[in-house]
Amino acid sequence: MPSRHEDSGESRTINRRNVLSTIGAAGAVGLAGCGDQSGSGDDGSGNGSGDGSSDGGSGGDGLFPLQVQLEVNADNSDRVQMVELIAESMEQTEYFETEIETYEWNTYVGRVLDPEYQDNGFIPCIGLSGTFNPESFCNALHHSDNIGACCNLNGISDSELDELMDSARYGQEVAQDNALRAERYDEVWNYLAEERYSSITHFDLETSVSNTDVHGFEMWPFQEGMYSYNMFAPQDEQIMWIDRDTAAGDSELSDLVEGGTLSIAVGANIESFDPPHSSDTTSTLAQNFLFESLVANDTEGNIYPWLAESYELLDTTDIDRTAYADYMSTVETTEEGVPDTDEQIIIQHPEDNPAEDDEVRVLLPDDAVEAAEDGTYGMHYRYSLQEGVEFHNGDEMTAEDVVATYEYYENSQLAPQTFDSVLTAVEVDEYTVDVYAQIADAEAERELPGILVLNANQLAEIEKGSLDPREDNVPIGTGPYEFAEFEDEQYYEVTKSDNYWVEQQGVAEAFSWFDGSDAFPDGPVIDGFEVEIVPDDSTRSGALQNGEIDSTYGLNSSTLDDFDSSEDYIVYGVETGGYEYIQYPVNVEPFDDPRLRKAINHLIPRQAIVENVLNGYGRPAWTDLPELAQGSGTADYDALEDEIRPTNEYDPERAAELLEEIAAEN
Amino acid sequence: MSLQRFILKRALSVIPIMFGVSVITFGLFHLTPGDPVTQLVALNPDVSAAEEAALRERWGLSGPVWEQYLTWISNVLVGDFGQELRTGREVSAIVWRRLPETIALGLFGWAFALVIAIPAGIYAAVNKDQLGDTVSRFVALSGISIPNFWLGLMLILIFSLYLGLFPVLPPSRQPLYHPDMLWYLILPGVTIGTASAASIMRVMRTSMTEELNKEYVTAARAKGLPERTVILKHVLRNSLISVVTLAATLTASIVAGSVVVEVVFNWPGLGREFINAINQREINVVMAITLFTGFFVILANLVADIVYAALDPRIRYD
Repeated sequence: MPSRHEDSGESRTINRRNVLSTIGAAGAVGLAGCGDQSGSGDDGSGNGSGDGSSDGGSGGDGLFPLQVQLEVNADNSDRVQMVELIAESMEQTEYFETEIETYEWNTYVGRVLDPEYQDNGFIPCIGLSGTFNPESFCNALHHSDNIGACCNLNGISDSELDELMDSARYGQEVAQDNALRAERYDEVWNYLAEERYSSITHFDLETSVSNTDVHGFEMWPFQEGMYSYNMFAPQDEQIMWIDRDTAAGDSELSDLVEGGTLSIAVGANIESFDPPHSSDTTSTLAQNFLFESLVANDTEGNIYPWLAESYELLDTTDIDRTAYADYMSTVETTEEGVPDTDEQIIIQHPEDNPAEDDEVRVLLPDDAVEAAEDGTYGMHYRYSLQEGVEFHNGDEMTAEDVVATYEYYENSQLAPQTFDSVLTAVEVDEYTVDVYAQIADAEAERELPGILVLNANQLAEIEKGSLDPREDNVPIGTGPYEFAEFEDEQYYEVTKSDNYWVEQQGVAEAFSWFDGSDAFPDGPVIDGFEVEIVPDDSTRSGALQNGEIDSTYGLNSSTLDDFDSSEDYIVYGVETGGYEYIQYPVNVEPFDDPRLRKAINHLIPRQAIVENVLNGYGRPAWTDLPELAQGSGTADYDALEDEIRPTNEYDPERAAELLEEIAAEN
Repeated sequence: MSLQRFILKRALSVIPIMFGVSVITFGLFHLTPGDPVTQLVALNPDVSAAEEAALRERWGLSGPVWEQYLTWISNVLVGDFGQELRTGREVSAIVWRRLPETIALGLFGWAFALVIAIPAGIYAAVNKDQLGDTVSRFVALSGISIPNFWLGLMLILIFSLYLGLFPVLPPSRQPLYHPDMLWYLILPGVTIGTASAASIMRVMRTSMTEELNKEYVTAARAKGLPERTVILKHVLRNSLISVVTLAATLTASIVAGSVVVEVVFNWPGLGREFINAINQREINVVMAITLFTGFFVILANLVADIVYAALDPRIRYD
């Protein structure tokens, strides 16, 4: 668990005046925390403003002071404060005159995702959530494919960068060589530090609070997996248990107690129990008790075979998506510019545009099977399934279930991300499934098996999207817990399954990769979970204080401080893939000058933002890559941070130098 | 005009009112930016523009607003309130499931308001300008001024967390009529009823004071009737007319107030569903709940009109 308050004695009041008055102190905080920031404290900003006024003012008709408009959504008060802090820091140099516009969330999203937004010359601020895939910290922001989509807001179109990012994920070389992939990403981070199109300010800290009856709990970086990871994760030898007699502290496996029911509260209704027909965190959290995947991840994103006993990459080829042209069907487009078909479009021909053309070429599911059988595919993975895995209804899981599940993901809410990489899945024999990727893709190993395996017999009987108790369909999975009860908007209960396959086989037997302690149990030890649905944060924290629940998450930082200071509760935190960034209008002068972007980047008080705005619940983004994605994102995280951090430090002196340089040229 | 004809006439007037409510709500909803599709996929880098357009088409969100409205209203006229867009669940089923919860809470709050307000109002009027009156007026003013959500949180803090008299979360595994449930309902009921109680008490006090100055009161007293009979039998009945009007109007604010209270007390009623639906831009759910609330308010006013006649036989429906 990362420490929260690196430096005590900092004012943590979230009040604009206070926040602003501590900008200067931010340098001092950095000074104490890290030598790199030396000299950038109060006197730094003091000098900056002095120099700035003379330079900026003397120009008269010169570039400075530059009018800058920053934009942000009004509903996220932390984010607004952060932008205010950045703006104030820019103003203090006297090179800038800033203005902040705030918008209602929907208006804001519509505004910044408009491809013409880039012409305004504004600096927008938005937050995204990334994954183990390092791509999620650079592509969405910078790839030219994402202009007008999420979230290349200011139309960054740098073909060299595009190629660099593509070469880090796609192609035979990186698909087979993770070390090479990591090196390529290092190039991406260095390139971005040089160009500084966007500034990532910080990475979020995911938190949860439990009372001390809950033992062995560790944070998982994604909310939806928080409890399922803790209930049983042999890949990290992670297991939680309930012991109402001794308080949790340095709990060890030998203290483990079996049984009990854990009561947790989630912050939203469980919209659906149908895995591909829901994408919200709470639904996935609920489903993760019941369903399992072909593989599992550890906290560093390493992949472990799970329902698949093992898997191997049989072949990769160097094709792009146009190679499927021969297998594609031609379909007409509707008036709205949508291909007119009820089937899942696996691939749409990259050269066709449904918004303009009357007909487009698309690869439909049957075409995809044909292509794969002919040897047209990017990658060919073979998954050997575990034998003897029983669903909650007693059916044995076989290849048929896996293939049926992939089919069930067609035309679902999760179809876009699934058929982004999956070409098709084909049954080889009862316990073997071949899964093909569309093109050679380094992320395929994680993305291809990213389905929750469902029961083929059940899928055959129900309507798409209705795998839900509200539709009188009880969800059936292979997971350690069975569905017990659900009352919409109120509560959800699961009880431990009697025939959980790992427990039947023994953990060491089931997973050949398991090399942990003999004391590690063969399955979860908690008898059941009661999940209360409590949208209001204060009510949730009240219920925790009143002993009505044992654990919850998503509380605000001041409440967390209260729990943290109590002996009866433990606050857990871990850095996640959530991040926020501002993006420079690179296509509008003078922002086409990287020196200006770097100068502003040096004026972002990252440490102060985390300390003062986020109350310490976050980590400054010294690099664009969070620790979460370091597995495939860098060859050496420490080396990368050493290299990039100086370019992201709060350094008004350096900023003033850069700005003076620009001013001199104008 | 007979009572039947009056009711019929009022019932018919529901049609243009509901039509107006639906047009305004539908229009306002479409003026607010964003739709369920943006809510769902706007920040998902994997969803292409074509996929977004396809989703919008499938959910019937691509045509002009008037066309969407016509489709919607023609379905409603045959009793089909449509589906929740992202899950495909029937909206009418959702509303019916939430309704009993909100009614139970609303009735509780309403009853609390009346039970507190009427005696307090009488007491204040009878003891006009004395200490008791001043205190009750001060309390009433506070009751009106305190926001619902704050009062709710304070009640939870004091009675649940400090005193441990009530659970924070409703005993959701019990049916509505279970004693545990009724006990739990006290705090949210008080929260919802406080503001209404305060307004009713003030109106009760004013109209009662007014009546007390009338000549028939003096006559009744002169006749030698005990004060108790004068107040409760004569004055009270005559002062209730304005209270009934107000109580009917307040049903609307009780329904509206339940939105906040249901969130704070984690009560799975229409109000919470409504907030959810607005946030997720689920237009069909929002429309159904709005129509339902509108209908409920009209109904409450109709009942008030009928009660007038019972209170004052001189009132005729013509």
